[in-house]
Amino acid sequence: MARETAVALENVRKTYRIGEPVHALDGVSLAVPRGSYTAIMGPSGSGKSTLMNLVGCLDTPTAGEVVVGGRPVGALGDRERTRLRGTEVGFVFQTFNLMPRLNALENVALPQLFQGIDRAERRERARDLLERVGLGDRADHLPNELSGGQRQRVALARALVNDPAIVLADEPSGNLDTDTEADILDLFDEFHAAGTTMLVVTHERHVADRADRIVHLLDGKIERIEDLEGDDASGSAADPGRGTEPASDADADSETGSPSRHREADSE
Amino acid sequence: MNPLESLRLSWRSIRGHKLRSALTTLGIVIGIAAVIAFVTLGASLQAGIIGDISPDDRRNVYGWAADPDIEGGPLAGAQPVFTPDDLESVAAQPDVAAAYGYATIQTQAISNGNETVAQGNGLIATGPSYIRESRLAEGRQFERGEREAVVNPAAANQFEENVTLGDELTVTILGGERTTLEVVGITDTSEGQSPFEGFESSPRIYVPTDPYYAAQAAGLGIGGGSGGENETGTGDENGTGIGDARFLAIIIEADSAAQSDIDAARESASAYLESDRSDASELLGDDLEVTFRTSTELLQQLQDVLALLRNFIVGIAAISLLVGSIGIANIMLVSVTERTREIGIMKAVGAQNRDVLGLFLTEAVILGVIGAILGTGLGLLGGYLGAQYIDLPLVYPLEYVALAVGVGILVGILAGLYPAWRAARTDPIDALRYE
Repeated sequence: MARETAVALENVRKTYRIGEPVHALDGVSLAVPRGSYTAIMGPSGSGKSTLMNLVGCLDTPTAGEVVVGGRPVGALGDRERTRLRGTEVGFVFQTFNLMPRLNALENVALPQLFQGIDRAERRERARDLLERVGLGDRADHLPNELSGGQRQRVALARALVNDPAIVLADEPSGNLDTDTEADILDLFDEFHAAGTTMLVVTHERHVADRADRIVHLLDGKIERIEDLEGDDASGSAADPGRGTEPASDADADSETGSPSRHREADSE
Repeated sequence: MNPLESLRLSWRSIRGHKLRSALTTLGIVIGIAAVIAFVTLGASLQAGIIGDISPDDRRNVYGWAADPDIEGGPLAGAQPVFTPDDLESVAAQPDVAAAYGYATIQTQAISNGNETVAQGNGLIATGPSYIRESRLAEGRQFERGEREAVVNPAAANQFEENVTLGDELTVTILGGERTTLEVVGITDTSEGQSPFEGFESSPRIYVPTDPYYAAQAAGLGIGGGSGGENETGTGDENGTGIGDARFLAIIIEADSAAQSDIDAARESASAYLESDRSDASELLGDDLEVTFRTSTELLQQLQDVLALLRNFIVGIAAISLLVGSIGIANIMLVSVTERTREIGIMKAVGAQNRDVLGLFLTEAVILGVIGAILGTGLGLLGGYLGAQYIDLPLVYPLEYVALAVGVGILVGILAGLYPAWRAARTDPIDALRYE
C-alpha cells in the first residue's frame, strides 16, 4: 500500500504581474509523502518562498494544483484556506514570529484558540508540547525572556499543536548560533522520527543534509532532486513513494525550460 | 474564536500600552462626563423650580401689559396700566374667583424696635390671598386696608431678635418716608411665592396694596398721570389716594386649576381689560397688549431656555465625544500598523479575517466602554457636586446615563470599524515580511 501524500504539487505555476509577468514558479510538480523529511534549496529568486507560501496555504497557484492534506488549495475560498492552514500546516520561521505579549504557553496554544478548542484543553496540549521541546519550566516566560534557541523551540511546539499534515520551516536556524542550530535540528530529527512530515527551506547544505532528500530549485523550476542515503528504516521506506513521477516531471521541465525565462526570473 | 477569548486578548494589548490607552479614553471620558454632569444639573434645576409650584398656585394667572414684540420672562417690558377699579371689575367678571394687583415697593431699611437692617425691594404689595393659607407657617393672611404684613423666614430672621407675630416693624420707603406694619403671619419658605418674585430665597415682606402701594404711588407720583381722567368708581379708596395708583402686574385666580377654568378666567379678564370699559384700555393703545400666563406656562418658557442652554452645552460635549472617537480611530490605526506582523502571525496559524476583525473591534469597544463608564462616574459626581453647590434637589436622569454608555460603545464600534477592517484584510504574506 502506497504511503499517503501530505502535500502534492502538480505542474504548479505562479506568476506575479508587476509590470512584466514574472514566473516565480514555472511548472513544478512535487509529492511530499507523509512522514518524509524534505529540504528545499536554491539561490534567492529561485522560488523557494513562493513554494512555501503555496504549500502553507498562504497563496494560491496561478495554474496547476496544490493539494494539502488531501484538499486542493486553489479551489478553496479564503475562509476554507485559512482553516486548512490552521489545521494542516505548522510554520517555523527564521525570525521565530512569536506573539510578543503572549507567554510561551499561550503562544503554543494560539493556533488552537482560532480552532475554537476550549481553554483547559488548549493549555494541557500546549504544556505537553512544551515539555517535549524541553521548555516545560519556561511556560510562563514571554518571548523576550527566552533565548533564540528557546524561542525557536516554542515556535516548533506551536507548529505542532494542531497535529498538522506538514511542518514548514523557513530557514529555521538562520538566526541561531551553531550549537543552538544543532539542538533545533536534532529536535526536528526527533519529531521526524516520531512521524512528523518536515519541509525545510534552507540555503545551508549542512541543514539540508538532515533531510531524506533535497529538492534543488532554480529559476522557478526543480533543477534536480537529490536522494540522500537514508540511514534509518523510515528513510528507505520512503524511497518508492518519492522521486519517481515527480522527479521525472521535474526533469522534463528542466530540460524544456528556456534559458530566457531563467534570466527573467533572475532579474526580478 | 469565542467572544471571551477576544476580550482576553484585546484586554492584554490594551494593557500593553497603558499610557496610550489611558490618553485615548480620556477624550471619551471628558465628553461623556460633560454630557452627564450638565444633563444632571439641568434636570436638578428643573426639579428645583417645578417643585416650587404648589397646587394652589396652579389656579393663578399672572398678567401684565407689554409690547407683544418684547420677548422674555414674567413682566418683561411691562408698563403700569391697571387701576384698582380695573382689578375690582376683573374680580367681578364671570369665571374669575379673585383679582388683585402686584407691586414691589422700593425700600431703604426695615427696623424692628431699635435694630435696623438695610433692605431694598423689601415690600411686596398684593392681595391677601397671594399668600395661600397652606404656605403660612404661623398666623394668618393680612387684610385689605390694614397696616398688616406677612413676612417670610428670611425677613423674620434677619434681626438679632427674630420677628414674631404681633411685632411692629418700621419700614423706610425709598426717599425716606416711614411707615409701620404689624406682622400677622410668617410663611413656611423664603423662596418666592410666584414667578413675579423669582424663585430665589431672600427676605420679603408681603403687605396689602391698600394702603401701602397707594402711599408709595402718591409719594413718587407713579401712575398719577391719568388719574384725572379717571372719573368713575374710585369710591372711598380715593380718600387714601389709591385711585391714582396703577399696577404693573395683576394676578387673577380661576375657580379651579382645571385648564378649562383657567382659560375661561383668562378669556374674561382679557376681554374686559381690552374693552373700552377698563381704565387700562386708555393706556394700552396699539403698542401694548395684556399678557396672561399661568406659572406653568411661565415655567415652560424658563424650561425652554434651560433646555436650549442644556442642548447647547451637550452639543459642545458631543464635539468632545467626536474628538475622542477620532482619537480612538487614530490610535487603532497606529496599532494596526504597529502590529502588522502580529496580524500576519495570527493569520498564519489559522486566524480567520473575522477573528482579527473581532480582536481589533473589541479593543476599540473596550476603550469606548471604559471611557463611558469613567465618564459616567465623573459626570454623576460632577452633577452631584454642582447640585450641592447650588443647593438643588439632586435628580439623576438615568435614561441619559444609559444613553452615555450606549454612545461609548457606539463610538468604540464606529471608531474601531475601519482600523479593524484594515487589520482583517492584511495579507499574511506581506505581514510576515513586515519589519
